[in-house]
Amino acid sequence: MSFVNNIDTAFESIDKDTLAEVRESALTSFKALGLPSARHEEWRYTNIKTKLPEGLKLGISSESQVASRLKYFNSIEGTKLVFINGAFSAESSVILEQSGLAVGSLKENSSNHPELFAKYFNKATDIAKENFAALNTAFAQDGAFIYLRKNTKVELPVFIFHIYDSAPTDIFTQSRNLIYVEENADITIVEDFQNSIGEKFYNHVSEVFIGRNAEVNYSLLQLHNPNTTSINYIEARLERDARYHVTTVTLDGKLVRNNVNAYMDGENALATLNGLFIGKDTSHIDNHILVDHRVPNCNSHQTYKGVLDDSSTGVFNGKIFVQKDAQKTNAYQSSKAVLLSDEASMNSKPQLEIFADDVKCSHGAAIGQVSKNELFYLLTRGIDKETARGILTYAFAHEIIAAVKLPELRNYLDEKLKQRLNITI
Amino acid sequence: MLEIKNLHAKIGDKEILKGLSLTVNAGEVHAIMGPNGTGKSTLASIIAGKEDYEITAGEILFEGQNLLDLSPDARAREGVFLAFQYPVEIPGVSTTNFMKAAVNAKRKHNGQEPIAAKEFLAMMNEKRQLVELDKSYLSRSINEGFSGGEKKRNAIFQMAMLDPKLAILDETDFGLDIDALRIVADGVNKLRNKHNAFLVITHYQRLLNHIVPDYVHIMYDGRIVKTGDKGLALKMEERGYDWIKEEITA
Repeated sequence: MSFVNNIDTAFESIDKDTLAEVRESALTSFKALGLPSARHEEWRYTNIKTKLPEGLKLGISSESQVASRLKYFNSIEGTKLVFINGAFSAESSVILEQSGLAVGSLKENSSNHPELFAKYFNKATDIAKENFAALNTAFAQDGAFIYLRKNTKVELPVFIFHIYDSAPTDIFTQSRNLIYVEENADITIVEDFQNSIGEKFYNHVSEVFIGRNAEVNYSLLQLHNPNTTSINYIEARLERDARYHVTTVTLDGKLVRNNVNAYMDGENALATLNGLFIGKDTSHIDNHILVDHRVPNCNSHQTYKGVLDDSSTGVFNGKIFVQKDAQKTNAYQSSKAVLLSDEASMNSKPQLEIFADDVKCSHGAAIGQVSKNELFYLLTRGIDKETARGILTYAFAHEIIAAVKLPELRNYLDEKLKQRLNITI
Repeated sequence: MLEIKNLHAKIGDKEILKGLSLTVNAGEVHAIMGPNGTGKSTLASIIAGKEDYEITAGEILFEGQNLLDLSPDARAREGVFLAFQYPVEIPGVSTTNFMKAAVNAKRKHNGQEPIAAKEFLAMMNEKRQLVELDKSYLSRSINEGFSGGEKKRNAIFQMAMLDPKLAILDETDFGLDIDALRIVADGVNKLRNKHNAFLVITHYQRLLNHIVPDYVHIMYDGRIVKTGDKGLALKMEERGYDWIKEEITA
């Protein structure tokens, strides 16, 4: 694995901004951790080591040719931060002036907000344990910076676009977001990864800090990612009365590993973690979810739905920790998958670790097929088999999209889902 | 329209239909009565194309073509409709979207363009009133949380939308109170015409007070053993099925 062997040389050559110290320690962590093998419990079903080819290099390439065919959600108004092959593109971005909101490139803002970076950068990830978070912390060059001051309600969403186009196929892009929302503020963030051509590899970390009584609606979209091997971390820390709704929508991808972690740091916080994933061909989609209840009186809900066709595989690993002090926790988890072919497979692993005694925790996991009775019912109305299966799959998957709060985004995703399933209802 | 000749069918090792023959012409309403377990619902399912059964002998002709060669959806597009004894609930799919897909499947089959939105809405509005189905049901998921009566009304509504040549009502009266039964039967009566035909499968005579059949067939042990007019249904109601069994075994 060449990039691991040459990691010191690569590290010397990158721009460390104001973050040299934390990067050094992350590099040390990564070197100690290495790449996880399939023997690593958290990577049992996703043998990432074998999926990252020899010759992969760390860095970014801002070389870009095409922007015209990319989907920028023109119909939805909002701030749009565009990163092309990992580098911030000021000319493609649209930054609306909104009072109380500072947005832009992480690289530029690390020097504008040194105190904030010192206090929060790398404080939501665990680089001592997480191989790829450590690698990312050492090497990430750019990403989105979003800072929302207290009592600010941002009406328009902030979009973060990661566009991968004509960059060489041997780059392992490391990108990084820092999102800090102060108390009583409210924001909607839509992060969209688009790879239009060629094989791509990226490792992305988002740290999200949600202040007291603040609300963050976060959608991570993986709608146009064929030939893409991606590792994502969305690490959120919730203070008292915070509300956090995160949705991942994965409609394709060669290998996708989403680590969605929520840490309940303050009482009476609410986290809703939803995910929809649809696999075809040989795609492998792994959702690793963790909700850590550290204090009393918090609520969390995880709802994940998967549809797996052809030889695709899905993984759901949902952890709920309820620490000793987290009395009156209410935690719920549901994972459901539909297999559309005999070769498709799903590994579902719920994991509840409860150390408090007065809690409500429940989980359910189901793996099945399209119901024969429902299918026959649709057929008897003249609907052909392929469409009928599409309609039933849509019916199954739709719940996750229906829960997306931003109406324009919900409609957009609904259309995308229908297209993906080849139905026109 | 429908010609069933010496039909034999089994599920697993169990033979259910044992040489059933039946002819239905356009403009006719046929009722099939009989005790539980004689194969009435099996017959309905086989005509509609359910795959669980193995046809071991015989044939089903629908307007001259071999129905058994067609997939269930192709049969529906040709004009066969089954109103299920137990309508399926499908969360997440609205009746409106479902019907749009079904109507357009039929139109495509007939070489027509997809229906225009306005025309479709007008059609939905007209047809739902046949069975006094409130507008709100159309935007709800198919049959989800519907009462027994609402499900059956929804089935007749779907029938009205698709305008089949042959409609099979499989124990449509099952679980209906008298008001729901009247609404469903009125809906069917309004849809009767000289071009279509109905096969009404029922356990009880009471449905046939409302949907008056031209022929009544008694089914027993996988065959039609007696055929008569509506008077036969009344006789069954009075005397039960035992005399038929005795007549056959005698």
